[in-house]
Amino acid sequence: MGLRIFLGLWLSAVIIFGFSLPMVAQPQHWYDLPIIPGLAEKARIIFFHVPTAWLSVLAFLSSLFYAVRYLRKKEPIDDIKSASSAGIGFLFCFLATVTGAIWAKFSWGTYWNWDPRQTSIFVLLLIYGAYFALRSAVEVEEKRASLSAVYAIIGGVTMPFFMFIMPRILASLHPEPLLNAQGKVHMNTMMLIVFLASLAGFTALYYWMWSLHVRAERIHYQRSQIHGGASRD
Amino acid sequence: MEVPRVTDFLAQNSLWVVLIVVLVVWGGILGYLFRIDKRLKQVEDEIRKS
Repeated sequence: MGLRIFLGLWLSAVIIFGFSLPMVAQPQHWYDLPIIPGLAEKARIIFFHVPTAWLSVLAFLSSLFYAVRYLRKKEPIDDIKSASSAGIGFLFCFLATVTGAIWAKFSWGTYWNWDPRQTSIFVLLLIYGAYFALRSAVEVEEKRASLSAVYAIIGGVTMPFFMFIMPRILASLHPEPLLNAQGKVHMNTMMLIVFLASLAGFTALYYWMWSLHVRAERIHYQRSQIHGGASRD
Repeated sequence: MEVPRVTDFLAQNSLWVVLIVVLVVWGGILGYLFRIDKRLKQVEDEIRKS
């Protein structure tokens, strides 16, 4: 319980600092954030939008890891972990798309303009949407687990291309990513601290959400095994 | 008298855009937690019935 309260306080602090630190043209104090030309106050979105995209990457990689483990060991718990992680990844991928579209409306003038970033994340949503369609289409548990593990591996392998490579190959209006093409981080120190604190908080939140889901699904699975194999979904 | 549109207001007060983004993110997380809560209730009901 203590850790969860700490996480709540941590994320509250991220929101407070993310909103209240002043943005000035020439930062003089440790708490000043610089005004980024063309973005102004909208630059604060980085503290909340980027962690959602980061969590989708983390969750899809975790789904890939447990999918490989399932195919090697055939333990149903690995299938539960892989599917739970893919579910959270899909949620955060969707949130990154929606929050990005809201930001685009006030920066580019339109919610959607098929920018390489938007296109690649949309394709990722389609890929993982099909993953859940596949899971719900197969009723035999073992077959469903094996097929979705293979699909999660394919999805996990293609994810870095859509998330990191495609938006960097094609010309995009999206602001420069944290780690730029030269491999350097161009960010004000205070901004970087709040951003990293947000990433750490959201990562812990992901782990908590994932473990809750896995625990619920594990109990359901164990019960279905005891009481004659009722369908999981 | 011309009534200002919400999008015009948000374009001029971009901190509100950030607030909407934060609300969307937390709304999504809250929705997910409700889903897990519903799932746990379902499992608890199954245990109670058996």
